[in-house]
Amino acid sequence: MIRMWKEFSKGLWKELPPFRLMLGLCPTLAVTASANDGLGMGAAVIFVLTLSNVLISLVRKIIPQKVRIACYIAIAATLVVVVELLMQAFAYPLYQSLGIFVPLIVVNCIILGRAEAFAGKNPVHLALVDGLGIGIGYMISLTFLGSLREVLGKGTWFGHPVMWDGFEPFGFMVMAPGAFIALGLIVGAMNFLNMRMAKKKAQGALQEMDGCAACGGCAMATKSREL
Amino acid sequence: MKSGNPETGGMVPCLLIGESAPHIHCGRTIRGLMLDIIIAMLPSAVLAIVYWGVDALRVMALAVAVAVLAEAACCRLMGRKSSIDDLNAVVVGLLVAFMLPAGVAWWAVVVGVGLSICLGKMVFGGIGANPVPAALVGYAAISVCWGIHVDPDTVQLATSWSDPLTKLKFFGAAGIEKFGYADLLFGRQIGGLGSANVGMILLGGLYLVARRTVRWQIPLAFLLGTAVVSGLFYMAAPETYAPPLFHLLTGGVMFAAFFIATDYACSPSRTAAMFLYGVLGGALVVLIRVYGMHVDGTAFAVLLASLVVPYCVLLRPKPFGVK
Repeated sequence: MIRMWKEFSKGLWKELPPFRLMLGLCPTLAVTASANDGLGMGAAVIFVLTLSNVLISLVRKIIPQKVRIACYIAIAATLVVVVELLMQAFAYPLYQSLGIFVPLIVVNCIILGRAEAFAGKNPVHLALVDGLGIGIGYMISLTFLGSLREVLGKGTWFGHPVMWDGFEPFGFMVMAPGAFIALGLIVGAMNFLNMRMAKKKAQGALQEMDGCAACGGCAMATKSREL
Repeated sequence: MKSGNPETGGMVPCLLIGESAPHIHCGRTIRGLMLDIIIAMLPSAVLAIVYWGVDALRVMALAVAVAVLAEAACCRLMGRKSSIDDLNAVVVGLLVAFMLPAGVAWWAVVVGVGLSICLGKMVFGGIGANPVPAALVGYAAISVCWGIHVDPDTVQLATSWSDPLTKLKFFGAAGIEKFGYADLLFGRQIGGLGSANVGMILLGGLYLVARRTVRWQIPLAFLLGTAVVSGLFYMAAPETYAPPLFHLLTGGVMFAAFFIATDYACSPSRTAAMFLYGVLGGALVVLIRVYGMHVDGTAFAVLLASLVVPYCVLLRPKPFGVK
């Protein structure tokens, strides 16, 4: 049970896909012009990722090593077609605003990454919670980025006006460059918070460590600790 | 690059020779350079206050105050020693203010200057690390988002002057016949509150060049680029396009040539590279004015040119002996 919680919760902060792992950036930048689109894209990814993780974990002992990538993609593609048809049937406006990025979930590196790194090696229940955790982390990230851009760029949140009267929308944020700048600032803020937290945690225990190793905030530190 | 030893006559010549202390300080400081720039901006600032009254003073004071406060806040957040006493923040604030019309809304000034300092300068590591002129970042952002609140045309309505570039854009060469060059030179035109006082900007720019605060190659190349490209258009069809002198004396060309394009961090330093950079910026101004949707494309032209600087810098002599 503890193991399952661990696999689930890592997707929520420690391995948050777009902001920590830097995976799945293409839809992150392209479809987050509004919170609604971010939420919809995140939901589609949760569906595909969880089911593909479960299926791949089920068949992991049958698939020959040499053709595993092709099999993963075939499974993901099947699920994506399901999502696409469901969206066309029940959420057509969302389908229209997401456009090409729904079919592109097939080649989203999160799907293939989780399949290769986790689901192909672990039992079904762990693969399920891993897919759920990473998927929910992805949805939260996309919704957060979409909200930030929509509130600043249009003055609305999920389509409802939230800013004061006379607010002039900062239209730059819903344009393409706004996505890059918002993503960069969020990643910077997360690194800042992580360094702070690591410093606080390490204050007592790591007194003897010096320089990069003492901070624990970046990849260098993990490396030097492993050495 | 490996450092060669001059005594052994190594294949790679020594590019940086470090002698042991003590060194003589040439007396130049960032603060001194920035003070020079502020002095050079003063005549135009005074003329702006004469023309636009307390409105102009309001914009400049607000811009400088926001710039200094934003820089102090960034330094504190980054855990650094405060760098506001090098006066660079004051200069950036003033530069943004000079590009804005006197009647601009206060919140546009606050956001523009704040973005210039935070996203244009501090996020890259402070003075000397910015890839594009810091003042242009904020100005470009607010002029893209809030064009109607930032464009001189739509803001400065209570005046009998008009914006020569708007006339040129929408009425062609026939629209600019009533503008005399003397009027343009003395700033009797609508534009940025400081950058439209072309004569005073030129005066300040010449002061900077004489004091060697800026290198003369960049302003000269920038003005040359504008003049040559607009001259080509003018020669091709004088009844459609404006003469070169008109382009030099309107909008932000003079201001950008002396004060913006010469930003120390993002302009090249070798003569050939400086000329390439300046000419590119000047040519882009005219191209944006002729073909683009912006009325005065100076800010965007300099932004684009400064993005090309890393490639301009490749124009350098081959070190002796290097294949």
